[in-house]
Amino acid sequence: MSRSPRASGYFRTSYDQDLALVQTRLERTSLGVFIAALLAFPLIASPFQLDLACQVFLASIGALSLMLLTGYAGQISLGHAGLLAAGAFTVGILFRETNAPFWITLPAAAAVGGLLGIIFGLPSLRLRGLYLAVSTLALHFVVIYLGGEYEARRGFSTGIVVDPPKLGGVSITDARAWYFILLGAAAATLLVCLNLLRARTGRAWRALRTRETVAEALGIGVASYKLLAFVISSAVTAVAGALFAYYRGFVSVEAFSLFLTIQYLAMVIIGGMGSLLGALLGAIFVTLFPYIIEIGLLALPGAQRHASLLFAVNYAAFGLVMILFLMFEPLGLVGMWRRMQNYFLLWPFKHRRAGGSRG
Amino acid sequence: MAELEVDRLTLRFGGLTVLEGVSLALGAGELFALIGPNGAGKTSVLNCVSGIYHGEGEIRFRDRNIAGCEPHQIARLGLARTFQHGELFPQMSVLDNLLTGRHARIHTNPLAEMLFLGSVRREEMRHREAVERIIEFVELERYRHTPVDGLPFGIQKLVGFARALALEPAILMLDEPSAGLNRDEREDLARFILRVKHELGISMIWIEHDLEMVADLADRIHVLDYGRTLAEGEPGAVLKDPRVVAAYIGTSAGSA
Repeated sequence: MSRSPRASGYFRTSYDQDLALVQTRLERTSLGVFIAALLAFPLIASPFQLDLACQVFLASIGALSLMLLTGYAGQISLGHAGLLAAGAFTVGILFRETNAPFWITLPAAAAVGGLLGIIFGLPSLRLRGLYLAVSTLALHFVVIYLGGEYEARRGFSTGIVVDPPKLGGVSITDARAWYFILLGAAAATLLVCLNLLRARTGRAWRALRTRETVAEALGIGVASYKLLAFVISSAVTAVAGALFAYYRGFVSVEAFSLFLTIQYLAMVIIGGMGSLLGALLGAIFVTLFPYIIEIGLLALPGAQRHASLLFAVNYAAFGLVMILFLMFEPLGLVGMWRRMQNYFLLWPFKHRRAGGSRG
Repeated sequence: MAELEVDRLTLRFGGLTVLEGVSLALGAGELFALIGPNGAGKTSVLNCVSGIYHGEGEIRFRDRNIAGCEPHQIARLGLARTFQHGELFPQMSVLDNLLTGRHARIHTNPLAEMLFLGSVRREEMRHREAVERIIEFVELERYRHTPVDGLPFGIQKLVGFARALALEPAILMLDEPSAGLNRDEREDLARFILRVKHELGISMIWIEHDLEMVADLADRIHVLDYGRTLAEGEPGAVLKDPRVVAAYIGTSAGSA
């Protein structure tokens, strides 16, 4: 994914430079400041804010993996909550049954996710669009059913308690430690996605999303690339589920309702299809949205009397925002961000020069 | 020796016979035009060769039967094609479109790509250089980074042509490359086709409606009408063939 030349002042002189993820000094500086801010955040944040940040990181991993599958490879999946559950239950079951440490359970979760990805990617070779979505929905119910059965049979009817992971004999329970672990995991996921997308696999995915037959005729094995998208996306999702299990210290089927799948789809749509930045913005937006609504609602006069309505208002507002985005901003938050950038870059002009890249 | 031989190719969709016993042979380095009125089955021949349709009969590439192979396997053997309406990947830049066309020549595995290891970086750069040579060849330098959906149609057709070249094919199949182009763009295209033939030595099957262009450039012409071969041979002879003239222009009641 090489990018267009800048307005002025920065010229690339090798193809290597064109491949770099961070190019200009300004980009390097702002990235540095951003990373420093992320690293400094736990020093000033309250425990509640730290928890929110951790939730955002977990959501980011899930949203990035769904973006790879849906936003780039064009395969719709409604099995996302099921895959998160699969990862979480892999941790829960392995921990309960064999007392396995995290360096076994996490790879195991990835393997389980990858395997489920193959199985539930297979229908994508025949089905498209809505039909595929419905077939992936089956994944959700199968995983939730198996998880529920396990809980019931083993007598964990309220859920499985998972002890915090141990590193060198020390349990990781500190909120700040979790912040850095999840930040690292989210950053690693982002880097993996960026790398895949600027190489051969990413191009193949984007190609098969728009024109499957043409991609095939150009030498891309469409079937294997679809499956690959399912495998990679599912493995990452399952790892996100596994981290969620450790972070919460608790696994239960109730946490993985169909609404969770819809929330992840919302992240991808509200953030902006076909953009990793969109996945991140969507993850932030959807995670923080209920808290913002709550704050807004409680700020209203006489709000305490309506506190019981909070839950319903939250659902309704979420639905409304989804509809508004689909109607007025199909490009999502990323579309808004790009428009804003263009506005300031081009000001006082209104339109970019048509065609050509120098301008 | 023929690079590509199509041997008694028959294609049916249900009760509709699209191609009936079409045979043709493409010599090495030859510019072979495939013409015929609308619906004659020209594109179907290309679709059969590139494996999108599966007909009866044999299709041999360098004496190897490729009928029945999947399209991506055929592309990997070095048979590249363009499409009538461009069929580019709209949101991708010209550069990414060409790199996608080169997919079969790039050898990196997804695990190494995830970490963008040195080997992946070197491979990407090597192929970037190769693709840049093609961009230069078809004079698309100024559009390199532009997403193709914003480009004029004529340029898009050229990008489609370049994307097929990016595979470094042994055989190039062009499906009406000049359709929708203006006079200047056609002249450019004719120049590029001749350069591909003389400088790169790639054999080409070329579907074309512009008979003037065909008469000027093609080595041999194969005429299809209603899925059957009408004539084949040198341009001068074929284009004067009364049957070809009849198929294209029609005959008056008196002379028929």
